[in-house]
Amino acid sequence: MAKQWTWGKIASAASILVLFVIVIHPMSWLFVSNFKTEADLLRFPPSFFPRDGFTFANFREVWERIPLLDFFKNTVIFAVGVTVLSVLFDSMAGYAFARLKFKGNKWMFTAVLITMMIPFQVMMIPLFVEVYKLGILNTYWGLILPRASSAFGIFLMRSFFVSLPKDLEESGRIDGLNEFQIYWKLMLPLCRSGMVTLGIYLLMNNWNDLLYPLMMTSSAEMRTLSAGLVMFVGQRSIEYGPTLAATTVSLLPLLLIYMFAQKYFVQGIATSGLKG
Amino acid sequence: MSTDKRFLRSWLTRPDKAAYLFLLPSALILSVFVIVPVIATLGISLMNMDVFLKKADFAGLDHFRQLADDERFWNALKNTAYFAVIEVPLQVFASLLAAVYVAKNTKFRKFLRSVYFLPAICSFTAIGIAWSFLLDPQTGLYTEYLYNLGFPRIGFLRDPVWAMPTVILMTVWKTFGYTMMLLVAGLQNIPNSYYEAAEIDGAGSFRKFVGITIPMLIPALSFTVITTTIGALQVFDQVFVMTQGGPLNKTETVVAYIYNVGFSMAPYDLGYASAISVALFVIILILTLSMNRYFTNKETSM
Repeated sequence: MAKQWTWGKIASAASILVLFVIVIHPMSWLFVSNFKTEADLLRFPPSFFPRDGFTFANFREVWERIPLLDFFKNTVIFAVGVTVLSVLFDSMAGYAFARLKFKGNKWMFTAVLITMMIPFQVMMIPLFVEVYKLGILNTYWGLILPRASSAFGIFLMRSFFVSLPKDLEESGRIDGLNEFQIYWKLMLPLCRSGMVTLGIYLLMNNWNDLLYPLMMTSSAEMRTLSAGLVMFVGQRSIEYGPTLAATTVSLLPLLLIYMFAQKYFVQGIATSGLKG
Repeated sequence: MSTDKRFLRSWLTRPDKAAYLFLLPSALILSVFVIVPVIATLGISLMNMDVFLKKADFAGLDHFRQLADDERFWNALKNTAYFAVIEVPLQVFASLLAAVYVAKNTKFRKFLRSVYFLPAICSFTAIGIAWSFLLDPQTGLYTEYLYNLGFPRIGFLRDPVWAMPTVILMTVWKTFGYTMMLLVAGLQNIPNSYYEAAEIDGAGSFRKFVGITIPMLIPALSFTVITTTIGALQVFDQVFVMTQGGPLNKTETVVAYIYNVGFSMAPYDLGYASAISVALFVIILILTLSMNRYFTNKETSM
């Protein structure tokens, strides 16, 4: 059967194309504008392409205008710290729920599911008070510890461990491995893709998070990229060019990971859909 | 020391006991940093407390009485409702449109999928900054495009009427790719044989869409609608970055108001901010439960 172009098909193809342009145009504008001169960025009427030619000045200047290096370092420590700890702890807990028989398994997992539904905004003020009382407000530990485990992570890791073949642990028990060795040497390596999926999910959410680091940090030296950039843009204290360069720098790491590990970004979302 | 080791070993060789050791770190963290704070929100909402934690005394239901008369709270609630009522349908519609087109696993469609998803991996901070520049009344490229199309040259984010619709459109732009992926996963779960059977019966593409795709997609669709709604009721980032709640508090949402009351406006009233959190939680809970019920009925009736 030959392909037929009906009006319906043309309309849907056209709207998909329009959507494509709408998504890609602002992104390309951001990319191109990084290399514009300040005069170009402020010119009236504005244009998409630079008229003064391309320049790298914005990327040179931005480091002097704002403590971008500090922001970057803080974001890496915060987001990577949370990711590493949470993947470890969540996989341990998920493993216990999936593979071990123990008293209280059912109600504890129900508690995890309920925890998953609680919006952050509902608990943020006592969390702030708690972290303050613990004396770790405005420190890396204050940023990392409250997020070092996530109910969604436990749920996700459990679903990976559940799908492993039955009685896999028995061979380990026969070989005289203890329970932790069985988890670490035998089972965890089989759930590598689950760990990567959860890791990327956590990395993305924490890297991009705004409200949480905004509350938990008070000095400019502790700000993450999201929280720090908002402060500087709000004050309108620096020029257009360096602001755009800082924005791009904050996006690059995730975009790079996205290019190479796209399927893991999507897998986490597909799994979050399962819980509905 | 050696007794500790022996103790650990005896626990680690018994699965029913080892389980508790596996659960310990997560159980500690989730109890201290999620469960205790949730319960404490209720407690703090009944107290007078400021951000410096200097004073803390019992206030009873004062804050909830204050809430009832607080025009700024009702304004924030109205803004949040406005946001949700427009944003959720737009986002679900846009992501459904895109999902139906890109669900098949051809190279071109996979490419489209990864492009549509691109804004979803960027932070609201970065996206908000870019859009504020694009919509600047003088130097904004999109202000210029719109002017050429016959719109007035105004600051869309600084205009009391236009600020909220602008924030809404920008939110849809950033997040539709995320929900699209949810729906694509749902679409790919529909067995192809259903469509083949319908084709044998001579069904056109519209009838296939209404008769098969939509009913089969209800679980994924309901999850999408519910999570998008919950997200819309908690909207904060894009407002904080692009308008700071202005102009004239026209874009101040409930969460933005909570943040302002607790952390950015004197007297930094944590007790009152907690009371607003409790109110928001109750609203989210009621909406989620009733939507869940509505969709469950739909699913069983199909």
